[in-house]
Amino acid sequence: MISGRDVEKIPTPLTHMKCLKCGTINSRPFKEGDYVFKEVEEKCPKCGHNKMRIIGIYVKEKKEKRRVKLF
Amino acid sequence: MSWLFQFAGGQDLLSILMSLFWFIFMLIFLIYPTFSQKIQLSYMLRDVEKKLLKLKYFRDEVRKRTIDHLNKYSDGNIEVDKGVDRLLGSVVIEPIDRDPYGIMYKLEHIVNTWEETFENEVKALCPKADEKTVKTLTNLVEVARGLDYIYRIIRHYYLLGKKTANIYTVLQVQMILPQVMEIANAYRQASYAFAQGQPIGDGVGVLAVAKLVDGMEKKTYEIAKDTIVQEAFWNGRKLLVLRAKGPGGAVGKPGEGVKKLIEAEGDRVKAVITIDAGLKLEGEESGKIIEGVGAAIGGIGVERYKIEEISKAKGIPLYAFVIYESIAEAITPMRENIAKAAEKVVEKIKNLILEKIDDGATVIVAGIGNTVGIGIT
Repeated sequence: MISGRDVEKIPTPLTHMKCLKCGTINSRPFKEGDYVFKEVEEKCPKCGHNKMRIIGIYVKEKKEKRRVKLF
Repeated sequence: MSWLFQFAGGQDLLSILMSLFWFIFMLIFLIYPTFSQKIQLSYMLRDVEKKLLKLKYFRDEVRKRTIDHLNKYSDGNIEVDKGVDRLLGSVVIEPIDRDPYGIMYKLEHIVNTWEETFENEVKALCPKADEKTVKTLTNLVEVARGLDYIYRIIRHYYLLGKKTANIYTVLQVQMILPQVMEIANAYRQASYAFAQGQPIGDGVGVLAVAKLVDGMEKKTYEIAKDTIVQEAFWNGRKLLVLRAKGPGGAVGKPGEGVKKLIEAEGDRVKAVITIDAGLKLEGEESGKIIEGVGAAIGGIGVERYKIEEISKAKGIPLYAFVIYESIAEAITPMRENIAKAAEKVVEKIKNLILEKIDDGATVIVAGIGNTVGIGIT
């Protein structure tokens, strides 16, 4: 019997947004309905403007442990 | 009894029994030479069985996720689970290739019929879904169908190997299972990405061309099914940027689109540049950009055939950019280094246009891939 614990966890991507006024880039976990180039009504953490544009949705890379690579 | 003690070297009863046990064991190997193979087969079958159970878990999980997601856009009277099961078991029969003349167009006809039927079936199951959601839901059902097929194939060879006690059948299944499990896990993650509408690695070509025309003044129109063109001017050159319509999951008909564009533009088109995700080899870096010539486009070959055919007839050079990624990365949520590669490839496209295309000429730039989660700029 296979349980949910035995299977790999599905990674959640981050939604990266750019403020349409000051250009500040902010990110948060992906929400259903997000898509790249969508304009969302979210507050900019720097200038407080309430319109931002999604510029990227992707899973952040895990930092690999430093080890000597032969190939 | 004394002969028995003599046989065991005159030792105690336990040693005699041990010697007897080993004697019988060796005798089995002598009388029954394939005994060791039977033991090996049972170990192999157990290993395949464990992985098959995991595959079944993935298959059931993806099927349940698909049904649950389709139910959100359905109404109470429709039996979504029965409809999904019917779609999971459906087949596409490839055209006969003994007479290969015109096979690409026969293949295109069958694929078009299949896509249309599949999409209509999903639409009938989800009357509340809008056009872009139907496309993403269709992709979701296709992922579930793919995983169901993998499970049924592995189960077939497992049961066949068990029934016939054929070690070589089981051995072949066991050998390919690590790669199959990797692909199955990727399908599992892909179903989640499609259910949520997240961009996947395969969409990097579309993302790159969307970034290319972002901020430019442009005219957008549909040229083929689910395929749009964005006309823009940049540094005196006319750009015809072709891609699938997003943000729903679609790949469009880029071959048909390029063909129609060349027919409409005539000799003004001086190059066709294609950008697509390509499979990397183990040990290679994901997100690495490779430049080359030819049409960078995957799939069954119909779209690539059309681009090659028209460009050869008109003598138009084909340039390509391929962004390396693994099969798992191509169908799972987009990774950071692949998303960053989309930005880097934009600069490379611009350099290529400046270098190869004269002022006043036209160039077709086609971003190939699935548009799920990627909107139109």
